[in-house]
Amino acid sequence: MIVVDSDKLIACPICEATNIDKSNRNICRRCGSKIYHHRNSPTEKSWAYLITAIIAYIPANIYPMMVINQFGSKSGSTILEGVIELWEHGDYPISIVILIASIFVPITKFLMLIYLLVSVKYPIGNDKKVNRFTVYYFTEIIGPWSMVDVFVVGILAGLVHLSSVQIIAGTASTAFAVSVFFTLLAAHSFDTKLIRGR
Amino acid sequence: MKIELEDENDLDHYIICHKCHTVQEEIAISDGSKALCSMCKMPLYRYDTRLVEHGLALSITGLIFIVLANLFPLIKIEILGTESYITIISMISSLIGSGYYLVALFLLYLIVIFPVMIFSLYILLFALLKLKRAEELAKNILILLAQIEPWQMSDIFLVSILVSIVKLFGMATIHIGISFWTLFVFVLIDIYMTRSIHLGELWVLKKEIYSKKAEKLKNDTPISNTKKGVSS
Ligand SMILES: [Zn+2]
Ligand SMILES: [Zn+2]
Repeated sequence: MIVVDSDKLIACPICEATNIDKSNRNICRRCGSKIYHHRNSPTEKSWAYLITAIIAYIPANIYPMMVINQFGSKSGSTILEGVIELWEHGDYPISIVILIASIFVPITKFLMLIYLLVSVKYPIGNDKKVNRFTVYYFTEIIGPWSMVDVFVVGILAGLVHLSSVQIIAGTASTAFAVSVFFTLLAAHSFDTKLIRGR
Repeated sequence: MKIELEDENDLDHYIICHKCHTVQEEIAISDGSKALCSMCKMPLYRYDTRLVEHGLALSITGLIFIVLANLFPLIKIEILGTESYITIISMISSLIGSGYYLVALFLLYLIVIFPVMIFSLYILLFALLKLKRAEELAKNILILLAQIEPWQMSDIFLVSILVSIVKLFGMATIHIGISFWTLFVFVLIDIYMTRSIHLGELWVLKKEIYSKKAEKLKNDTPISNTKKGVSS
């Protein structure tokens, strides 16, 4: 017979099985995966991924995402320029989709992850009724949507290479893809059990 | 809240909500219905007596559609009399051609390799569960699925195609290709599968199936032992 407090129960990140937190390195009783305990669990890895993502996001906004070569004259546009162009054309819904996917989602995700990583180490905002698990859940849901612009560039570059008009992927597409990749890694390496730690 | 358990296996009757991380006690529900988290109303688990058959049918259909989506044109355009079309593979090879190896590699994994791999793994898993065979392999497949599922982005790719089409309005005449529709069906199947089949349920199902089999073996062995005893 075991009596356990419900606060001592943790979920395995791989198989979702409920486990008893044995305050050291836990091994999941169902799938054998390692479940780290909060005090030993490092946030350094998440920080490293997140910082890489933020650094990659800078060139992603400075360099052109897409270059249009029309009858020999080249014109490139950055993410923001692309959004503004679409808006001026009257393509409001698409302009908003790209704005959300390429600017709003990545920046929100950076801020949410910074907030989560800071708040598990320093007791800020713990008394507020913010459910940090829900914050994490939303970073997980919205994260991949920032790939939209990279996919669009891939599609247009693959499709439009005619003699009169060509669309070429810009430097920013690589930087952007790298940024999204590292943001996803940062979120996945973040240990949600850290939240319960305090 | 204090929880009393006979042993650690009793923990299977407690589920930690994926969204709000509160501990929820399992309740019996009727066939075909689902249990929701009492805090945030997130679906926790479903009960489906024909889960293996449903899963197998869904994953085979899904695999067929994702393979088809890779074979045919996605979109066709016409600019000033010249035609051009794109398939998923031609899109990736054109990115490689212009030196964007990293982006090409991402796309290859996110929209070709991972979706095909996930659905093939599901077929294999449901087949093993159906045949009640190779428990260790089934376990490894479940672990692998949990690791690659977040990296599957067919739905986002589908939205990206729509965005691209809108961007091309006015610039070209656009025809939607066969692959667009097969991809669309694949995404619907994928969404339905992630909503109706949770990996947690499959772990429970796996345990049930193989422990029943082990019990049966245990009951069988004494008889065969006595038989051996007589003959020797
Ligand atoms: Zn586990
Ligand atoms: Zn909940």
